[in-house]
Amino acid sequence: MSFLSTISLIAAENVPNDGVGSTSLNPILPPIGEMIIGSLASIIVFSLIVKFAGPTIKKSMSDRTARIQKDLDDSAAAASAAEAEASKIRAAKGDIDAERSRLYADADTQAEALLADGRVRIDAEMVDLETRAEAELVSAAGRSGDELRAEIARYSSGAIDSVVNGTLDNAAHQDLIESFIARVGSSTGAAS
Amino acid sequence: MSDARIQGYSRALFEIARAEGTLDEVEDELFRFARSYESSEELRTALTDDQVPAEKRQAIVEDLLGGKATSTTTQLVSMVVGSGRGRDLPAIVDQLVQRAAGSKDLDVAEVRTAIALTADQQARLKAALENATGKSISLKTVVDASVLGGIVATIGDTVIDDTVRTRIDQLKSRL
Repeated sequence: MSFLSTISLIAAENVPNDGVGSTSLNPILPPIGEMIIGSLASIIVFSLIVKFAGPTIKKSMSDRTARIQKDLDDSAAAASAAEAEASKIRAAKGDIDAERSRLYADADTQAEALLADGRVRIDAEMVDLETRAEAELVSAAGRSGDELRAEIARYSSGAIDSVVNGTLDNAAHQDLIESFIARVGSSTGAAS
Repeated sequence: MSDARIQGYSRALFEIARAEGTLDEVEDELFRFARSYESSEELRTALTDDQVPAEKRQAIVEDLLGGKATSTTTQLVSMVVGSGRGRDLPAIVDQLVQRAAGSKDLDVAEVRTAIALTADQQARLKAALENATGKSISLKTVVDASVLGGIVATIGDTVIDDTVRTRIDQLKSRL
């Protein structure tokens, strides 16, 4: 018989028995013997639990605490990193805005410069084109005049030859010869 | 041909014609033949073609001049053409004419007209040129249709030009 069975039997001998079963004298508290034995048993059980299961439970709780702490630390670190990253992003965003503004400003400046250069170049080209066009017009007018004069001279030359050949009959030839003889004969020592 | 060779040929022709006693006639015929030679490309080609045998070239000359010129003239031209000097015939003849004129203290006046001059016109023209230049003139006339009308006379370096061709050319240049 175990120790607990023995204690239970002893306690049972101190409990009034009405014939039906053990009956407590107090409706709330058990009989004192049962209380003592129950308390002792509880103490023993509790002590055993503390003795044998306590370290494990304590270790488990410590581990759990450590794990939770670690999770908390990790969370804090992650939150810190996230905050740092957010700061970086906010800074970068600020830089991007500044860079965008700077680029816009540069683009505007360059566009203004290009526009100004373009206006100057176009003005110069317009002046050059006008000058060349005027020179070309003058040259073309001169060429046309020269060509016209050459054309007139060519037609005139052909017309002269045709008219002269048609009008020089024998009488005209004789007149020319006699005229030459008379003219040369009238000059003295001054042939040209 | 070099000037010396042209001078040699002209001297030879001159001496032959003078020895034959027909210098004036031969000189005049040679002068006319030379001008015809200058104005006819066909004649120049026939008398200067090295592919044509010399005998054939000489036969052409005899056909052209036979009965129309003195035998001396015909033989002299035939000799020049047969010796392969046809290209230099005008220069040789011009030298001959100068030499002949020089032998008589005359200056050669080459006169070009569109139509032939009458003997009277030639005589009056000769007198007029002598009066104008103060020199004795040996007149050589050439009928040259390219002058169109009028007369151009060349005496040495002096040119008296009153041709229609020159007037037309001057008018054209002004145009």
